[in-house]
Amino acid sequence: MLLEQVEYVRPQSLDEALEILANDDGAAPLAGGQSLTNVLKNRVASVDVLVDISALGDLAGITRTADGGLSIGACVTYDELDRSAEVRQSHWMLGEVAAHIEDQQIRNKGTIGGNCCLSDPTNNLPPILVALDAVMELRSRSGRRSVEAADFFKGYFATALEPGELLVSITVPQMPERSGAGYASLAVGADAKAMVRAAARVTLDRDHATIVDSRVVLARVAHVPTRDAEAEARLNGADATDDAVRAACAGVADGMQPITDVHGSSEYRRQMAKVMARRAVDQAIAAARGGRNGSSAGGN
Amino acid sequence: MGERATSHAVTVEVNGEKVSRIVAARQLLVHFLRDTLGLTGTHIGCDTGNCGACSVIVNGKLVKSCMILAAQTDGATIETVEGLAQDGTLSPLQESFHEHHALQCGYCTPGMLMSATYLLRHNPEPTDEEIRRGIRGNICRCTGYVNIVKAIRAVSRRQATGGHAVTAAAGEEV
Ligand SMILES: Cc1cc2nc3c(=O)[nH]c(=O)nc-3n(C[C@H](O)[C@H](O)[C@H](O)COP(=O)(O)OP(=O)(O)OC[C@H]3O[C@@H](n4cnc5c(N)ncnc54)[C@H](O)[C@@H]3O)c2cc1C
Ligand code: FES
Ligand code: FES
Repeated sequence: MLLEQVEYVRPQSLDEALEILANDDGAAPLAGGQSLTNVLKNRVASVDVLVDISALGDLAGITRTADGGLSIGACVTYDELDRSAEVRQSHWMLGEVAAHIEDQQIRNKGTIGGNCCLSDPTNNLPPILVALDAVMELRSRSGRRSVEAADFFKGYFATALEPGELLVSITVPQMPERSGAGYASLAVGADAKAMVRAAARVTLDRDHATIVDSRVVLARVAHVPTRDAEAEARLNGADATDDAVRAACAGVADGMQPITDVHGSSEYRRQMAKVMARRAVDQAIAAARGGRNGSSAGGN
Repeated sequence: MGERATSHAVTVEVNGEKVSRIVAARQLLVHFLRDTLGLTGTHIGCDTGNCGACSVIVNGKLVKSCMILAAQTDGATIETVEGLAQDGTLSPLQESFHEHHALQCGYCTPGMLMSATYLLRHNPEPTDEEIRRGIRGNICRCTGYVNIVKAIRAVSRRQATGGHAVTAAAGEEV
């Protein structure tokens, strides 16, 4: 398909990219292009200049932070996340979620930064990043700031990014000891878009018997990945048993109004959110016991 | 490529041959290959990144050529389906598609071949499940995939060694 007339530039440095973005309202960062190219084809957004950030060194690579967390460049691809020994060692589930995004071609191009900045509610990475307490590192010509993942996603295709700002990297803190992560989706087909998802993280006590801290994040239930604070409160201090988790997750998504669409009604989604949350928490507990940071079970 | 512009000079190596052209910034790689270079083996099925008919290998990475701009590939090495056969001899994978009746209308075949080529490069002994995952991004409306999986399995090292993973004892590297 022929796109509308557009300019293209491949800046040589982050500063050069930020300068172009600051000076031109019609400038759009081009990362993996696995969404933006379709946006341009559909002509739903008008872009004057595509600023190709995909090869910038400042946005590349995965490094271990001093305190044992990860710093992930915004242009790291899903395939790189999947194959990263660093990611698998400390945040196994993040690699696993990336490994199940759509297909190999999209995993070779799509980036963690693009997946977040698009803020498509069906995208796979935002909920797990919220569950892992990730922090988004933003840069603009005039400075830098950090925004917690839970505050970064603002709505359908809306984020905390200001005009001229780039997401440069994502910091994922080290998981506390005896922690694990889980991720469960109700997908229309294997590795396909999900109707409802839940991501979870739990920390267990020394005996692996009691949950001392938890995150329960729902996706596709509201417009953005949403922590269910009430479910977390019920889990914290609860026994790490099937029955206790089931009881704590029974009220998940109550009071929320998921959309109704061709794949399912609002009520069906609300019920399934409870099931996905329970599965994600169960996985997280198993992973915490197994000591492998979320490696007990796969799943899209 | 420092300057912003609506057209850019691009030099790429396509199937071993260096080519230089001026491309419009808005030109998709698939149109550069088909319309500018006349390499019509790479197909357009959906133009939305869903079907995989346009799959090619750029700098060793399998990508959908309807989802990237030609201008982005300056300096890249590109492999298309036209590069698989050498001197008129089909590649083992192409031969296997032929033998196993892995195509009917053939529309998806160039993309399937590129995905399978990429898969076997990275995983010479895929399980059937890994083969299916490897062609997950390629849609076939005709075959039902069974013969495609068979064709790929037949040229994998797993098959070549009688269904078992190659072991060091058999005198080959694992
Ligand atoms: C057929 C198909 C199926 C897909 N299925 C899924 C799926 O199931 N799950 C899923 O998660 N994704 C899916 N995707 C989308 C894919 O994951 C995209 O890669 C992702 O949404 C965007 O990442 P990108 O790197 O390709 O970004 P781009 O397309 O390059 O950019 C997306 C948006 O983010 C902006 N942007 C990108 N990077 C930055 C940055 N660092 N700072 C500021 N702004 C930035 C761009 O300007 C643009 O507005 C699918 C895509 C296709 C084509
Ligand atoms: S034409 Fe590119 S994926 Fe269908
Ligand atoms: S052979 Fe017809 S689409 Fe695959």
